[in-house]
This record gives sequence, C-alpha cells and structure tokens, in this order.
Amino acid sequence: MFTTGSKLLLGATVSALVGTLLYGLLVGGIMGTVGLVSLTVGLACVAGINISTRDANVAAEDAVTTSGLAASTLRPNASIWPLAFGVAAAVIVLGLVVHAVVVIIGIVLMLVSGLEWLLQSWSEGASSDRSHNREVRSRLAYTAEMPVAAAIGLGLIVFAFSRVMLGVATKSATIVAFAVVGSIVLLGGALISRSRGLSTPRMFGIFSVAGVVLLGGGAVMGLQGERDIEAHHTTAHYAELDECGTEEISADEHASQTVAGKASSAAEVILDDSGLFYELPGINQKRTGSIQLPRSSANNILFRNETNTPRRFIAELAEIEGSPARLCTALVEEGGVQLLTIHYPVPSFDPVVEESGGYALVVAGVDDRIEVVVP
Amino acid sequence: MAIIERPSEEVALAPSSVPEVATPSTSYGIFRRPVETTGWKSWLFTIDHKKLGIMYGVVAMFFFIVGGIEALLIRLQLAGPNGTVLSADKYNQMFTMHATTMVFLFVMPMAAAFANYFVPLQIGARDVAFPRINAFGFWAFCFGGIFLNTSWFLGGAADGGWFMYAPNSSVAFSPSNGVDFWGLGLQITGIASLTGAINLIVTVINMRAPGMSLMKMPIFTWMVVVVQFLLLFAMPVITVALFMLMFQRSFDATFFSVEAGADPLLWQHLFWIFGHPEVYIIVLPSFGIVSEILPVFSKKPLFGYPLVVFSGAAIGFVGWGVWAHHMFASGLGPISVAAFSVATMAIAIPTGVKIVNWTMTMWGGKIKFTVPMLYAVGVIVQFTIGGLSGVTHSVAPSDTQQTDTYYIVAHFHYVIFGGAVLGLFAGFYYWWPKMFGKMLSERLGRWNFWLTIIGMNLTFGPMHVVGLQGQPRRMYVWTENRAGEGFFNIGFWNLVASIGSFVLALGVLTFLINVVISHRKGTAKAPLDPWDARSLEWITTSPPKEHNFDRIPTVGHLDEFFHRKYEDRGSGDHHEFHQVATGEEVVANEEAHAESHIHLPSPSYWPILLALSLPIMGYGIIFNLFLLFGGAVLALVSLYGWGLEPHTAGDDEFDPPTGAALEVAAHG
Amino acid sequence: MSHSEDHDRTMSPLTTTTSRLGRMGRRTTLTAIAVTLGSAVLAGCATNAPQDTWKPAGENAQKIQNLQWPVFLTAGVVGVIVMAAIGIIVLRFRDKGQPIPEQTHGKAWLEYMFIAIPAVILAAIAIPTVGLVMALNSTDDTECIINVTGQQWWWEYDYEVSADGTICGFAPSAVEASPIITSGQVVIPANTKVLLRGTSRDVIHSYWIPRLNGKRDMVPGRVHFLRLESDTPGIYAGQCTEFCGLSHANMRMETVVLESGDFQKWLDNELEPYSAPAAGTLAAEGEATFVAQCSRCHQVNGLLDPNKGTLVVSYPDQFVYSGASPNLTNLMGRNTFAGASWDLLTPECRADVWDATPEEFGAKYLAGVTPECLNEIDLREWLRNAPAKKPMYADPTMLDETDGKTRGMPYLGLSEDQIDQLIAYLLERK
Repeated sequence: MFTTGSKLLLGATVSALVGTLLYGLLVGGIMGTVGLVSLTVGLACVAGINISTRDANVAAEDAVTTSGLAASTLRPNASIWPLAFGVAAAVIVLGLVVHAVVVIIGIVLMLVSGLEWLLQSWSEGASSDRSHNREVRSRLAYTAEMPVAAAIGLGLIVFAFSRVMLGVATKSATIVAFAVVGSIVLLGGALISRSRGLSTPRMFGIFSVAGVVLLGGGAVMGLQGERDIEAHHTTAHYAELDECGTEEISADEHASQTVAGKASSAAEVILDDSGLFYELPGINQKRTGSIQLPRSSANNILFRNETNTPRRFIAELAEIEGSPARLCTALVEEGGVQLLTIHYPVPSFDPVVEESGGYALVVAGVDDRIEVVVP
Repeated sequence: MAIIERPSEEVALAPSSVPEVATPSTSYGIFRRPVETTGWKSWLFTIDHKKLGIMYGVVAMFFFIVGGIEALLIRLQLAGPNGTVLSADKYNQMFTMHATTMVFLFVMPMAAAFANYFVPLQIGARDVAFPRINAFGFWAFCFGGIFLNTSWFLGGAADGGWFMYAPNSSVAFSPSNGVDFWGLGLQITGIASLTGAINLIVTVINMRAPGMSLMKMPIFTWMVVVVQFLLLFAMPVITVALFMLMFQRSFDATFFSVEAGADPLLWQHLFWIFGHPEVYIIVLPSFGIVSEILPVFSKKPLFGYPLVVFSGAAIGFVGWGVWAHHMFASGLGPISVAAFSVATMAIAIPTGVKIVNWTMTMWGGKIKFTVPMLYAVGVIVQFTIGGLSGVTHSVAPSDTQQTDTYYIVAHFHYVIFGGAVLGLFAGFYYWWPKMFGKMLSERLGRWNFWLTIIGMNLTFGPMHVVGLQGQPRRMYVWTENRAGEGFFNIGFWNLVASIGSFVLALGVLTFLINVVISHRKGTAKAPLDPWDARSLEWITTSPPKEHNFDRIPTVGHLDEFFHRKYEDRGSGDHHEFHQVATGEEVVANEEAHAESHIHLPSPSYWPILLALSLPIMGYGIIFNLFLLFGGAVLALVSLYGWGLEPHTAGDDEFDPPTGAALEVAAHG
Repeated sequence: MSHSEDHDRTMSPLTTTTSRLGRMGRRTTLTAIAVTLGSAVLAGCATNAPQDTWKPAGENAQKIQNLQWPVFLTAGVVGVIVMAAIGIIVLRFRDKGQPIPEQTHGKAWLEYMFIAIPAVILAAIAIPTVGLVMALNSTDDTECIINVTGQQWWWEYDYEVSADGTICGFAPSAVEASPIITSGQVVIPANTKVLLRGTSRDVIHSYWIPRLNGKRDMVPGRVHFLRLESDTPGIYAGQCTEFCGLSHANMRMETVVLESGDFQKWLDNELEPYSAPAAGTLAAEGEATFVAQCSRCHQVNGLLDPNKGTLVVSYPDQFVYSGASPNLTNLMGRNTFAGASWDLLTPECRADVWDATPEEFGAKYLAGVTPECLNEIDLREWLRNAPAKKPMYADPTMLDETDGKTRGMPYLGLSEDQIDQLIAYLLERK
C-alpha cells in the first residue's frame, strides 16, 4: 500500500504538521505560521498525489527487492551530502562567532544537504536496479528541486546583472558594456550553433565559464559598491508656493520632475520669460488670452516651464459641489513638463462659475492668466 | 526526449516484419494509467500526435459551423434596410464572436490540426517532441473554446468587436460578462497556441529524419515553423494585453482610463502588434499546403523552393513592422503613418513572390485538376484579389477612406477565406486518404469547390462595392437614406452578399455530406499513393501506424518520395524521368526493413486535467474567487501528478510483461 | 467686413485649388488617364450614395482620389495579368499524356525579375503616398477651427472664437458670451480651409465625411485634426466608423457647406438672443414642460426659468454617462436629430433640401424646419421612448456600472399632451 516514496513524503508531512503546531502555539508569528502551513499543505498535496498514483512505486512490483536478495547487496554510491552536512555544521558554528546571517546560511545548507542525503539513501535502497533508482529519485525530487533551482539561478543572474549595471561608472558606459556583452553572447551563440559536434561537457564548460564570469563580476561589482547616483531632490520645501493646500505635499515628495510629453494633448501651456502663453499642438501659433475647451471631457493640458524658477501650474476650477476648487501640478523645474487632466463639469457661463471668477489656467507666482471658455 | 528506444539486446525477440509496440500494463497504482488503444478513452487520454491532430480538426470544424451560423445571422440581418433579425446588442455580440470564433477557434486550430498531424510525418519522426504538452495544448484549446462560447448562456457574449478597443471594452460600456469571457477564453486558447509553438519548433529542429537538412524540409513544414515562431512572439503580447484588460475589468486597474491619465491607443498598439502577425499565422499554413499540392499535381518540383522559404520567413519578419497600418485613422501622426504605409507596401513583395512561384510551378507542368488542385488554384486566384485590394489600402490616405468600411471586410475575407480557408479545404481533400484511408468523392468535391467559390465571390465581392459606396462595418442596420441608387445601390449589393453567404453555406454543407458518404461502410479503401505524391508523409501506410514509420526513412532529396519512385535516366543536361517503383513498393520496402522495439510515450490523465483547471479558474475570476482557488488546486495537483509520472511507463509495466526473470537476468 | 472683401477672401483659395489640381493632373499621364476613366465610370453608373468614397467634393478628398485611382488601376492590371496566366495554365498545361516535365527548381534571373518588378511598382506608389500623408496632416493653411467632440452616439461642435472676435473669419453681428454650439450637423463656409479639432467624451469614435476627406478617430484624452474643405454648397453625409457600442449604426454626422453670405446669416441667427414663446400659446406651455423635463440635460441658451426668472443651465454631467446632451437652442435650424440618425424634415422636404442645386441650397437650408415640413412621426416616437428607437443600453439593470447615469436619452414617460407642448416649443427653436 504505502511505498517507500510515499512514506518519505508522509513522514515529511507529519513532521511539518508537528512543526507548524509547535511553532503556532509556542512562537505564533504570522509569517512563520503561514509559511509552515503552506509547507504542510504542499507536502500533503505531493504525498497524496504520490500515494494515489503510486507512480514512484518501485518496491511493490520489484520481485528482487521484496525477496530481500539483491537490495542488500547493492553498495551505496559515493555521496557529497555527508560532507556538505559537516560543512553546514561548521558554518553554523562559525556564524555564531561572526554574524547571524552566516548562521542562517548554515541552517539552510544543513537542511538542504540533510534532505538530499535522505533522498539519496532512500532512492538507493528502493530497488535492485541502479538506473531505475536514479530515475525514481529524479522523478520525485525534480518536482521540488527544479523550480527551486530555477528560482535561485534566475535570482542570482538578475542580482549579478543588477550589481554590474549599478557598478559601471556612468549610464552611457553601461549601455556600451551591455552592447558588448550582448554581442559576445550573440556571437558565441552563433559559433555554438555552427559547430554541430560540440560535446555536452564542452557546452557545459562554456556555460560554466560564462556563469562564473557573471557571478564573479556581480560579486566584484557588488563589493565595489554602486556608482554615484544623483540624489533625487524632492520639492516638498517649495510647499509655501502652493496654492493647492497642504495635502499636495506628499505628492510633491514623489513627483517625477519631468513627465514625457503626452502626444496629442488638448493644449500645451508654456511659461517663458515673456510670460504665459499656450499652443495647440500641431498648430504652431503662440496664443494668449483665452482657450476654448470642451465640457465633461478629459482635457490633457501639458505645462512646460522654460524659466529658471521652478513653478507650479494650476487649473482654477469653480466652487462646484463634488469637485476640487483647483488642480495643481507638483513643482516643475526648468525645462520640465507636467500634465494635468482636467474635467470641467459645467459650462463657463454658469452663474456659479462666473461668481467664483471663472475657469482659468495660471502659474503660481505669475500674474498672467489664460481664461478657459467652456461652451 | 519522449521517444524512448528500449535497449533491445537483453530482450531480443524474434525479428518480425511488424515491430512490437509495447503498451502499459493495467495494474498500476490506485488510478490505473490509461491504456486503452480503442474506444473513447483512447481519444480522451491520447498523446498521439495523429489522434490529437484529428481531434483538433473535428473541434475546429465544429467551431467553423458555429462561426458560420453567426455569419449567416449577420447576413440575414443586413439583407435589407433596418433589419430586425437581431437586436443591436445581439448583433454586436454576433460579429464579435464570428470573428473571434473564425480566427481563434477555426483557422488557427485547423492549421494546428494539419501541423500536428503532418509535421512529424513530413520530417520522419515518430511523434512530436513533447507529446503530453501536445495533448495539453489541444485540451486547452478545446476547453477555452467551449468556455468562450458558454458566455452566450451566461449573460451574453462579448460585444466589443474582436479587436476589443479600449475604452469601449471597460465595464461602464460593456457591463455584461461577455468581455471577461472573451479575454479569459483567448488567454486559455493562447496557452494552447504557445505550448504548441514551442513543441513544434523543438520537434522540427531536433527530430528530423537523417539526411533532412533544413533546405530539404517539405515546404509545409517550413511554413509551419515560421508560423510557430510568429506565435511564439505574438502570443505573449496579446497575453499581456488580455491581462491588462482583465485587471481593468475585474480588479479596477486603470490601464485604459483616460481620467487617470492613460491613453487608450496603448491597447490598439498591443492588440495589433499581436494582430498583424496573427494574419500571417492564419494564412501561412495554407500557403504551405498549397505549395505542397501544386508540385504534386503539376508533376514538377516547387519553383524557386528557397525563395518560397525565404519569402515565408521574410513575411514572418516584416510582419512585425506593419501593425500600425490597422491604425492609419487613429491619429498617430504623419511620420508614423508614412513609415508604416511604406513598410506595408514592402510586405507585398514577398507575398507576390509566392504567387509568382506558384504560377511558375504550374507553368510547363503536367497538371491533373483534381479537387485538391482546384482548391489550390482557387487560393492563388482568390488570394491575389485579396492581396491586391490590400495594396490599395497600404496607401495610407486611400486607407483613411476605406478603413472600417465593407471594403476592408471584403479584403480580409478574400485573404482569410480565399487564402487560408480554401487552402485548408485543399488540405482536406489532399490528405484525407492519408489520414483516414478513404478517398473523398471527387464528384461531390467538385460541387463543393464550385459552390464555395461562387458563394464566396457572391458574398465578399459585393462588399467591395458597398464599402467604396461608404457603408461602414459593424453597423447593425443600414438605412435607405445612405444607400444611393443605380448600379452601385448598397441595398442591392447587400442582398446579393446575403444570398451568396447561403450559397457558401451550401458549399460547406456539401463537404460535410462528402465526408459522411465517403465513410459509409463498404466504401473502398484508398490506394496508398493516390496522388503520386512527393513528400515523406506518404512513405507509410494510410492511415499511418501509431509509430508512423516502420523504419525511419533516410532522406537524400527535397522530394524524397518522388525520387524513390522516379529515376533520371537522362544524361548531362538532358533529363528523363522514368517510374521505377510504385508508392506501394516503396512502402513495402520500408516495412520489410522494420525496426524492432519501438517505445511510444504512454497516454496520460494529466494533460486533460490540467487543461480542465483553466476554464474553472476562468469561471472563478468572473463569478466567484473561491472557484478560482478550486481551479488552482486542480492545476497544482495536475502539474505535480504530471511531474511525478514517467513519460513512458517503465519496462515492467508493459504488456506483454517482460517478466521478472528477464530483469534478473539483465541485472545479473 | 463688406461683402466684396469677403468674396475676394474666399475666392483666392479656390483659384489656388484649381491650379494645384491642374498641376497634379499633369504630373503623370497615368493620373490623368485614371481620373478620366474614373469620372467616366462614375458618370456612366451615376449614383448618389451620399457616402460614395469616389466622389470627392473638396480638395482633400480630391487629392486622395487622385492618388487612389492609379493605385486601383495598377492593382487591377496586375490582377488581370495573374488571372490571364492562370487561364493559360489551365488551358495549356493540362495532363494530356505528355512526358513528365523537367524537374526544374527555378531560374534565378526570372525570380529576381519577379522581385524587382513589384518593388519598382510599389516604390512608385510609395513616393506620392508619403507626400500626400504629409499634405493631409498639415495645419499651416488653416482658416477656421471648429472643435468637435464625440460621445455615444452623436457629435457636438463648438466654433472657436479667434482673438479678434471672428468665427471662421466672419464677424458675428451680435455680441454673445457663449460660443456657438451645435450637434448633428456642422455648418462650414465654402472655400474655407476648416480644421476640425476632435476628441471624445467616452469611447473612440471616428469622424468621416467621405466626400470631403478620409476618416480620423476621435480618442478620449487626445485631440486629433481633420481637414475639411468644399467649394460646393450642400449637405455631405458621414457616419461614425469606429465601433462605439450599441448604437454605433445610429451615429451619423453631416457637414453642411454654405456660401459666405449664407454662412454669415447662419452665424447671426445662431447668436440671436433667446426669444420666449408668446404667453398663452401651446409653445409657452411647452417651455414650462421643457424646463421641468428636459433642461436638466439639454441647454437652450438664454432660457429663463419661468418661475424663478433665473438663467437655466443644464447639468448633463450628473445624469448622462458621457456628460453631454445636445444643445437645443437652434434645433429646428438643423434638419436632423438624435445623432443625425433621424430627419426633422418629412421625406419630401428632405429631398427638396438635399437635392437642391448649389445656388439654391443656402436659402433652402437656412429656412430650417417649418411646421409643414416637420417629421412629427419620428420626433414623437423619440419623445415617447428614446431608447426604444435608438438602442442605448442592453440591460437597464446594469446602469449600476455607470453610477446610475444613463447612456443617451432615457425613457421619460411623457404624456401625449406634454409631447404636443414640447413639439410646439421646439418648433420655435431656430
């Protein structure tokens, strides 16, 4: 009924369950509990599948094993896991002296090597056929090993790449460096695809070298530290210029200094040394005075600041129930562009709007004013 | 790799002309592994590329009929002014689902049916590289298609057009669940396409018969490979777009909300970056089929084979740089429009190359006009019309007059029906004896062909007229006020188109009748090589055995089968081909040298179960998140079950059992 | 602005137009042949489908026409050649027992030729195409800007007042604060290069007057341009061509071209102050009904609330999802309603206006809708139950998704008396 593989998984499930209960009752951290519960459920799931399909079953139909003859005569294979286990113990001890992180690494290493050890010894005793045993082991273990290994591998690659990218002196050097690396990879790939007879070990060698170079590069760059990255100044200290009220301050702290110009906007309002004017994109004509914008429509207005002083662009709306009295951009630096999406709910000839001074586009600290006519 | 050759030394049995195909034993686990080779279970759990190919074909044909009925309803509604057959709402659902069904549930899977069935046969392989993934792909397509169509009964189908432009696809404008079904359904069928693409690419790259270099590969296989690469890169784009749509609708994201600063044109770009390569995904397999058929019935090799291959690949590449020609009226700005306009013209060149090479293949040939040949010639003629009308709207200013009118509808129906669908029908007639060992009736086939050709020209031809007369697409009614008078009267031509659509339906019906008649009991078995064919898939029995080839053929020529049958007895520049063997003799020779002990991958429950979890998750997202959780559990269980299951059952699970004694002997 | 000046101003673009057309005609003989052939075919199969894409009535559409004829012709010739080749093959190369043909795999020179020929043809098409794309997108010569806003399922227009107070170069007689705002039909002066600046309030719509120019999508959050121009007074029909939901088929538009004198009259009429119906008439009752039932969404400029005496301002933003309803100030000055889907004129009166000669057209159009010509049938049906006439939402229970706002005009439950009053009132809106 229960195969050795199922027993292994069931055992693991039970231990995980016990661990979960103990942890939950004695320690009670949320993340830890969730993690352990997930582990238990996952193990139970795999164990259940294994029992129901019995696909990893060998012993049940292996005449040799059940007769107890051949299984005992198989000598165990060489194994790296006892060594790894020992190293892990040493690392833990070392960690106790040096740093807590090393302890955690040691514990993880110990768990992994212990589990692998367990798996290996189980699979070697599973039947009298070594190749069959290997297959059974991989079938059972790959479902866990492969996703974990892939995640770790990808993580390492991403991390190493990011370290290298952040370590290269300038942005443009990064671009050049990666163009070169990309070309080498492409060239290498082309060469490999040309030579049909490339043996597996050689391929493995090439990829190992590439991997070592990448990880080594990542490690070196990581230790060297990141390049100087220009600090991102927030504009919160300009809040006194703000006519929008204090609630805008948090927006200022996270505001991007320049947004990409949006295509086909309704209008582009520009402040330069001559004053405030606007252009209708596509029609090259400086306009001042008033602008006509549709009602109840999302009007995208770009503001471009061509003066030396950071400025805040403001759309004056009316005191209408349910809508804000004004909309503001964050502070726009010299040459910066920001976008306001303005929705006018009522026409500008509405008495309420007229009483509150009408719709307008203004810049804080500048007297010029563009009246907005909303038909 | 999935095909495992069992080491035969230890268990050498008496050599026989029929190789022994081991099947798994029945005593296996609590769940038995599926072992049936006949009956419904053998189809449900099969991972045989031929059975899957046939199932692809059957399901796609079913959806062809569904999509066809939708089309007939549309034509009924538009037959006269102010039609009342359908309400505006139902009409919008109808044209959305007609396009979606025809593109995603008929043409693509029907091409997949041929690709699945014939690519391994054409390259001399025993199966595809990943047979279980292949099965999963089919079931994902099947369940995805069913899922999509259940929306009819659950509050209405999608009503935003197959292009589903934002923001019209958002909840405020399309409050029923139709668009959700559409997005998730396409997501599921997209998974099928993606897995199929990877599978076929690996198969063709790794599993070709000895001697078959890429430039000796049959042209159909070539076109399929190009299509799979297109799928591989196009599907992720639509996947991203569909996820955005799902998050927009189900979880209040603002990817396309203008008030939140979004730009609705983002969707159009994403959709058409997928959507334009999709056009070539649809049409290239049929080009492959036509390129197979023309040489066979002209008794000449394909004219300029390398050029046809490279033009196919060129279409595949340039096809990525023309998507914005669907958006000439979208307000992209003159520079983009001009650039995409020129790129679109450029793609006409490789397409033209194909037409010319087909024509030149027939030129000077010894042509037999059988039904498959008629269809192939039909493709050349009809597709040329579609291609040329395509050139007229590659001219962007001209396109701003034609886009979104019936002229475009006419254009792409000539391309898709005239190019892709006629090509598929050519494939049916050509390969039917190979797939089923029965000939389809030539007489009925001719009826089928002429009804289809007349029907399609009556249906889609007048659309050129009404389009140029200014009738826009996607209108549930048209009005007398805008119809005009005289020869170009919109009303008259709409009526003609509606009548034509029923002629066309009659043509398709003839095909179905042909199938039924040909498969009646007592009809003669088809000869082994009815067409005097040229490529590898004919060097085996009809229908092929489960393991395809008794001996994997060694390839020396582009048209291997032809060169095994005919010998050049000329000298120097003078060629003289003489028949030295019949197809039967060639196949018999292969059988005489059969390989022994072929292990085929075993059937499995998991692909269908995993595929089943996808629509469950889909319903979960639409109706209840708990259902999503249930579907996810099923997916997880299936994935692990799949992972734990050996792709081929072990030696001792086969029937006849090789027995413990042999094992002991083997292991000493 | 005096009349003669006006005339000069509008004449000059006309002369440049003709000369430009002439240059084009001479550019290639092919174009000339194509145009001749085109006009011959059009004359032969005379038709008046109002949206015929091959019957340009303005410079922009004419330029497109001049480019597309040679392209169609070339495509046709290539098509005939291919068909002929197939025909020859079918006749000549049938299997008549001839020996197995040579197994030729191709001839290099032939194949290169077949690549080169289409490449040359396409290059010849590409060059003028690029030129025309640029020309149709230029805005430098604009003489008049009109803003157009699409929504489900109609178009709204507002006329931009330039800095010197003119509208499309015409000085309005009355000084009125609110700009001209219309829907369904846009009125433009003849021989004027009009630039539509378009956007949308909800989904993407597409503006298309086939006889004046190609189409251009109007996308929410974006402003797109479309050039319009015509030298012939008349009504030019169009249809929304980007699928925009349930009543996409019922979203039409018409561009009305008027001679400069007529345009001035139209402009002055648009800006005339509101005149309340005479007390005690049916129309006066209609005004009260209008204020009570319709003015929430529909603006009538200058309308005062009869009870309070205050200006009535509509707030469609609160009731309609797209946030707009047609302005009815001069409803009977245009001759369609409900997204130009239905005519305000009876079929006979409609035909009279539509088929009028360019000289007579202006006067007939400016006459507006008279009581005798009013198409009461459709208007009544519309007032009785608008969603039944023009589908607006598939399932009313799903209005929750739009915060209870309707899409388009809802069912109002008006009594027949109220409808009578409203029609009497609306008849005076011109």
